[in-house]
Order: sequence, then C-alpha cells, then structure tokens
Amino acid sequence: MIASSFWLPPDISTHGSTIDLIIEYVHWFMAALFVVWGAYFLYCLVRFREGANPQATYRDTKAKPSKVAEVVVIIVEAILLVGFSIPVWAYYRSEPPGADKNPLVVRVVAQQFAWNIHYPGPDGKFGKSKPELVDESLNPIGLVDGEEDANAADDYVSVNIFHMPKDRDVLVRLSSKDVIHSFAVPLLRVKQDAIPGMEIPIWFKAEKTNEDAQEIMKRSFDLPASPEGDDAETFVKENRLRVTMAKYGSIETGSTISMEDLKTLSDANVTSIEMAPGYPVNIQCAQLCGLGHYRMKGQMKIYEPADYEEWVSTRDDDEFFDEDEFDDE
Amino acid sequence: MSSDHHAHNPGFISKYVFSVDHKVIGVQYTITSLLFLFFGFTLMMIMRWQLAYPGESIPLVGGWLGQYLVDNNGVLLPEGYNALGAMHGTIMVFLGVVPLAVGGFGNYVMPLQIGAPDMAFPKLNMASYWVYFLGGVTMLSSFFVPGGAANSGWTAYPPLSDIANTVGTHPFWNGQTIWLLAMVLLITSSLLGSVNFIVTIVHLRVKGLTMFRLPFFVWAQFVTSFLLLLAFPPLEAAGVLQLMDRVFDTSFFIPSGLVVSGVVQDQYSGGGSPLLWQHLFWFLAHPEVYVLILPAIGIVGEIIANNTRRPLWGYKTLVYSVIFLGFMSFVVWAHHMFLTGMGTKMSTFFQTTTMIISIPSVVILTAMLLSLWQASIRFTVPMLFALSFLPMFAIGGLTGLPLGLSAADIQLHDTYYVIGHFHYVVAPGTIMALLGGIYFWFPKVTGRKMSTMLGHLHFWPSFIFMNTIFFPMFMVGLAGVSRRLWDQTEYVQGVDVQSWVRMSSWGAWGLGLAQLPFIINFFYSAFAGKKVGANPWNATTLEWAAPSPPPHGNFAEVPVAYRGPYEYSVPDAKEDFHPQHVPDSQVV
Ligand code: HEM
Ligand SMILES: [Cu+2]
Ligand SMILES: [Cu+2]
Repeated sequence: MIASSFWLPPDISTHGSTIDLIIEYVHWFMAALFVVWGAYFLYCLVRFREGANPQATYRDTKAKPSKVAEVVVIIVEAILLVGFSIPVWAYYRSEPPGADKNPLVVRVVAQQFAWNIHYPGPDGKFGKSKPELVDESLNPIGLVDGEEDANAADDYVSVNIFHMPKDRDVLVRLSSKDVIHSFAVPLLRVKQDAIPGMEIPIWFKAEKTNEDAQEIMKRSFDLPASPEGDDAETFVKENRLRVTMAKYGSIETGSTISMEDLKTLSDANVTSIEMAPGYPVNIQCAQLCGLGHYRMKGQMKIYEPADYEEWVSTRDDDEFFDEDEFDDE
Repeated sequence: MSSDHHAHNPGFISKYVFSVDHKVIGVQYTITSLLFLFFGFTLMMIMRWQLAYPGESIPLVGGWLGQYLVDNNGVLLPEGYNALGAMHGTIMVFLGVVPLAVGGFGNYVMPLQIGAPDMAFPKLNMASYWVYFLGGVTMLSSFFVPGGAANSGWTAYPPLSDIANTVGTHPFWNGQTIWLLAMVLLITSSLLGSVNFIVTIVHLRVKGLTMFRLPFFVWAQFVTSFLLLLAFPPLEAAGVLQLMDRVFDTSFFIPSGLVVSGVVQDQYSGGGSPLLWQHLFWFLAHPEVYVLILPAIGIVGEIIANNTRRPLWGYKTLVYSVIFLGFMSFVVWAHHMFLTGMGTKMSTFFQTTTMIISIPSVVILTAMLLSLWQASIRFTVPMLFALSFLPMFAIGGLTGLPLGLSAADIQLHDTYYVIGHFHYVVAPGTIMALLGGIYFWFPKVTGRKMSTMLGHLHFWPSFIFMNTIFFPMFMVGLAGVSRRLWDQTEYVQGVDVQSWVRMSSWGAWGLGLAQLPFIINFFYSAFAGKKVGANPWNATTLEWAAPSPPPHGNFAEVPVAYRGPYEYSVPDAKEDFHPQHVPDSQVV
C-alpha cells in the first residue's frame, strides 16, 4: 500500500484500506492508459508532422478503430466494479452491525454550523426530541425532559466532539435539523449526507485512537530562523492546529506553539520540533450549507475501550455540553 | 422563413440587433457568451485570492465589490465567497459555455455545414437569443439587490436554497429568487434553440447530404439538441417548484420539522422531499455535462480532419458513440447522489451505467488519436488548441472513474478532486476546443484570418496555466479538502496543501493575463487581419463553399453534396482535399 504517495490522509478505519486500494488501483490504471495514449500521441505529432510526412495516407471512412483500448478498459472497469467497489459499498451501506456486535449507537444531528452528537445513555434508548423545544444554546436538538420521556433522562448531547472507542462498531443515525450537510471524516473514510426529514444509518469501526493517529501524522518542523518577524508569525499561524509531540524544555508535550514559545525554543537552541495535529480526526461538513460551511467542523475523540468507559462514567449527565473540550483555534 | 428578407435592404436595427439571420444571431451569441465567460472567470480570479491568501484584503478590486461581497477592509466575506462560487458555476455553464458552443458555433456553423440558407425557424432563433440575453441580464442584476446574488451553489440544493437570501431582503427581488427566474428564462431559450436545431438538421440538408455525410460537428449538435430538449424540462419544472417554495411557502422540497437558527419553520406545512430536487436537478445536469462537451468534441473533430489532411478515423463509430453517449447520459444521473443514503442495488445500477458510459468516451478519444496515424499534421493555431484538448480531456475523463466507483467516491465526493475532474473536462477540455473553433472559423465569419503570432502567444501560456490551475486540485482533493470552503486552512490537511492551492491561484491569474493576446487578436484581426478567400484552410465541408463572410442566404448557388465530409488525400487526385460540393468530374 503506497497510499501516502497518493496524498490520501492516513486511514484509521477497518473498511478504509479497501477504499484506498480502489483509489490506488484506479489511478495506476489511469496512469497506464494515459502514458500509453500520451506516448503514442507524441510519437504521432513528431513522426507525422507535415515536414516529416508531407503526404497523408488516405483511409476510407469505413475503417473501424481497433478494439484493444476498449476491451482493456471494459475488463479493468469490470474488475474494479465487481471485485472492489460493489462489495465495499455493500459493507458500507447494506450490512449494519447487528446486536451481536454490540455496536455503539449514536444519533448525529447536523445543523448550521455544528454537529450535535446524541448518546442514548446507559438505557441505550434515545429520548424523543421536538422541534419546538429547540434552544440553540441549551437544548440544540430539542430533547424532551426526563419526566415526559423516561428514555431522555439519561441522554447526553455533545456538541462538535464525537467520543467513541476504537475496535467497536459504531452505528450513527444521521440527520439534520435545517439544511443538507455532509458528515465527512476523512481519516475514517466516512462521508454521508445529512438530510433533514431523513435518518440515514452509517457505520464504521476505528482501528486506532487519536494518539495513534497523532503518532502516524507527526512530522518534524524546522523552526523559523528568527523567533520574531513575519516568518515566525506565519509559522505560528500555520501551525495553530498542531501540538508538540515531545517535551521541549519548559514546553509540555501537547502544546500549541505561540510566539513566546518560539522565543523559548530559540533561546534553548532548538531548531526543529515534532508536531502533529491537535485533533487529528476531523469531522468536516462536505456539503455547502450556508456562510459558515467552511467552519462547520467537529472532532472525533477515539479512545482505547477502557478509556471510553471511563469517559462515559465521568461525563456529567446533567450537562448537555462539553464545550470547553472543544478548542476551535 | 427568411426568403422574404432578400428583397429589401433591412435597416441597422433589424440587420444587426433584432436580426433573424442565423449568422448574426450566432455572432451575437458568441460575443455575449464570451463576455459572460470572462466575467465568470473574473469571479473565480477574485475567489482564488481568498483561497491563496485567506483573510487578506483583495488587491485592486477589493474596495469595489460592495457590502454583500466584502467587508470594510476589502476581505471577501464567507457569504460573498458562496455567492461568487454559485454565480461562477451558473454563469460558466448556462451563460458561457452552452450559449457559446450551441448558440454561437451551432447557430453559425451548422446551417452552413448542411448547405441551408438559414435555420428552419429564424424568428424562433431570434427569440431564443433574446430570451437568453434577458436571462443573463436578470442573472447579473441579482448582484445589485439587497442581500446580493444567489449563494447556494449552482446546484441550488433545498432546503438551503429555499431559505437562502430571505433575511433582510426583498420578498421577491432577492438573489435566489432572481436566480430561479433567470434559470427559467435560460432554459426556455435553450428549448427554443434545440427544437430549431433538430428541425433544421432533419429538414434543411441540401441534396445529397445524407445523415452519414454530415460533418461530425453537425452530429454533435444534433445529439446535443436532443439532450437539451429532453433534459431541461424537468429542471424547468423543478425551478418553478422551488420558486413556489420561496415565494408562496409551499413545501415541495421542505420536510417537516425544520428548525433554522433556533426558529421552527412552521410557515411551511412540511412533508416535502429535498432529494426530489436533487433527482430533478441531476436528471438535467448530467446530460448537461455532455451538452458542454459534445459540441467541443465536434469542433475538435473538424479541426483534426482538416489539419491531419486525412479522413477522421472511424467516422461512423464516432457517430454511433455520440448517439450512445446521448442515450446513456440519461441513466447515470444518480452517481452524483451516491452519498444521499443510497442502498447497494441503486448504487450498483448507477455505477455500472457510469462505467458503461465511459466506454464510448474512450472510443471517441481513441478514434481521434488514431486519426493522427499516417497523417500530415499542420500545426496551425486551431490545431494546437484541438490537439491540446485530447490529453486534457483524457485526464478529465479518466479522473471520472474513481468518482463513478461509489466506494472510491466515499472519500473523493465533494472534494477538490471533483473540481479538478470536471474542470479538466469543461475548461482545459471544452474551453480550449471552443477557442480553437474561434481561430478555425474566424476567417469564415469575418473574411480575415487571426494573427498566428498572437495565436501562439495565446495558446502556449493558456495551455500551461490550465494545467497549473487544475492539476494541483487532484492532490488537494485526495488530501481530503472539501470544495466550496471559504477558508480551507481551518483544517490541518488544508494547511498542508496550501502551496498547491497557491499554485492554482497564480495559474488562474496567469490564465487571465494569457487572454490579452487573444482579445487583441480578436479585435485587431476582425478589422485589419489578412484577407482570405472562401476556403483558406483547404477544407472539405460545405461552409467553405460559401463566400467569406457568407451573404444573407449564405450560398451564391445552392450546393449539392457529392460525398462524405472528410475526403482528404484521396489517392490520384489533383488536390489533397475533395470538397463535398465539387462534382467528381472536377476533382479527379
Ligand atoms: C477557466 C477557468 C476556470 C477556473 C480557474 C475555475 C475555477 C473553479 C474553482 C476553483 C471552483 C471551486 C470553488 C469552490 O469549490 O469553492 C470552481 C467551481 C465551479 N466551476 Fe469553475 N473554473 C473555471 C472554468 C469553469 C468552466 C468553463 C465551467 C463550466 C463550464 C466551470 C464550472 C464550474 C462549476 C459548475 C463549479 C461549481 C460551483 C459551485 O460549487 O456551485 N468553471 N471553478
Ligand atoms: Cu454543513
Ligand atoms: Cu454526472
């Protein structure tokens, strides 16, 4: 697998490698066709230019083009289709994980411009929600209270942060309360339109946690020559979504780099540092949904199973938000 | 019919403005659509600034764009970005390429190529142009109404488009509503045009010009007209329904229980389906893709036959492929909707049809390439454009494959990969072919040739910049950057590909500059270019039998077609071309 040379982001899902393989194979196929066509094309341009071949050869119009190209294309496309694409789609779309797999079931309600992640709580049952109860800051999905619907009592809503364990199937029931959005998680090879009036199920399973993803995505960055000036400012701005992957003097692992930090690092003669995205697993909106479309982003927090249980038991069920955990910038 | 005009000398207005002559209308279409193309492209040059340098004031024009597009510092607003994007798409497709390829080239060249004195319905033809013009003006006017132009994408997906441009705007004269009205006008214009084309091709061919002696370009126009005729009505209906939703609060596309910004949308009864719009839209918009590309393929075919000095390889195969493409284009539309909740059966159907439709495209490309074999290639300016079309159209077509495989589409859908893919078809592909067509038929229209030197100065930078704009988009898309983002650096993967993004932007500005030689060439040559005779390219098809420029009524004497369209380099002949209208006794 040389997906990284195809510029794809790392894949941390169980089903994603087949998608990447299809993308890779198709591109090799495309490249091969293009090279053959291109070589032939260039050859013709040189060999049959007017200067080299002043007299064209007549061929009557009934001649049929050779079938080789078509036959090759048909065969390769058939293989890609039947061998790869249709089976992957079947996994992706038509075989939801059954109860035997004990999937984590979550509702995701998209809105302009946020992702509401609705957990059913220990009872495993979602409380009802009603449009007229929607309150943008206190009750974004219009959940009824525990007295009206006991199922709602233990429900938990997280905004823009999707907590989930690795190695467990996750079944998302996706919908939207206003316009069409699209729930896209590039690292999980997941994308699905969220359409108001419909609840569309999607499922996936992560093989890696956020920390694993950071390990994969960490890179070494050369620090700007001077800790002040334009270059330094650009550096800080461009890396505002990244955190350090090791301790550098007084700068802790997991910090974003500020102008001051650059000064500290420069004083300590550090010339390059390792960083990775602070939130490696982005949720992004892939369907134009209004002026805030570009900033409609959420984050996945993928835990080791035990850590996930820990999060579940410590989250405050009376609180709808864990907004403080979501640090946009 | 046109014959009643021969007798008297029409005044300026009826000769050049409200003309019923297909040539004047063709030129009107050409000029108007070129202006729209340049305008739509300018919008994109502005957007590319924001992408390359997010949040920085737009140089030169930033202060002029007005409160709906930019803030006080001349920085493009997110809603301004969306408006420019929606208008770029709409203008390029419906006001630029289609009117140029069909209204311009089709109108001017097709009747000449079939030896007709005019279109079958000249007045309908005139109406078609003026309805288009009105549609264009209407569309542009939306930039000036409170709230600015439509900003829900050229696809105008509801419910977003139903609720867009409604706050602080006029209930009727607002961006999205005007967009819909303009679309209804534009569609009407296309319908008028397509009926006219079909009737003209079927009925007005001269004696001897059987269907299989038609130039390939005429076939391309013929199939295109059927696509327009059959695909547009559903969108026209859909447009009217969306208009109802917006103006009268009906719920064709509005489901129950919508809550927008905390407000329950109870003015709608609900129960509608947003997906209904998408089906109606793509039922048009996929065939529309072929409307954008087929005339271009037709032009390339003409130029290649002429400049290779030999018959197009597999003429009949080409014709059958185009017809097959036309049919198939009606059964692939939902490949744009794989991610709307489609199950395995549907997706299997639509990915299979999509793979099938790639076959005739491959056949067409292969035939064009095989036409080069044993040719005697003249690298004229139109030929350079036509040749450049081939590899770039190939890239556009090939990159459609991963998008058509629904599994790969999961990752690539709605990313810049898609933008790269379809632009390789419509910009480096269609636009280059259309430009080539202008150089090719310019002598026919004006009686003068365009400058070769300026032509080279136009071609080479355009060819290079087209690729520097669009090739990086594949990498950006693979990296997972969504399209239609005001600022992709909100995401880490967007930051990582920023140098590619800048390369695209600089390419776009370079492409803008590269059009200067063309503009100069166009006007200079129209008035002071080298004068040429009826057939400066030693071509075979019937338009070259008419004088340059052709008079009203086109032909001095009605031609007769004696043979197929591309009889070049026939063995033992006096010349290396046998025009269709010259009897055997005079050529052999
Ligand atoms: C030749 C110069 C052109 C350039 C530099 C250009 C560039 C772009 C870019 C960068 C986008 C994506 C914007 C975004 O996702 O935010 C875009 C969108 C689009 N372009 Fe072009 N384009 C060009 C020509 C054309 C042509 C000739 C056509 C059609 C025939 C066209 C049709 C479209 C459409 C339909 C969209 C989608 C708009 C939307 O998202 O609503 N473009 N263009
Ligand atoms: Cu969204
Ligand atoms: Cu399509």
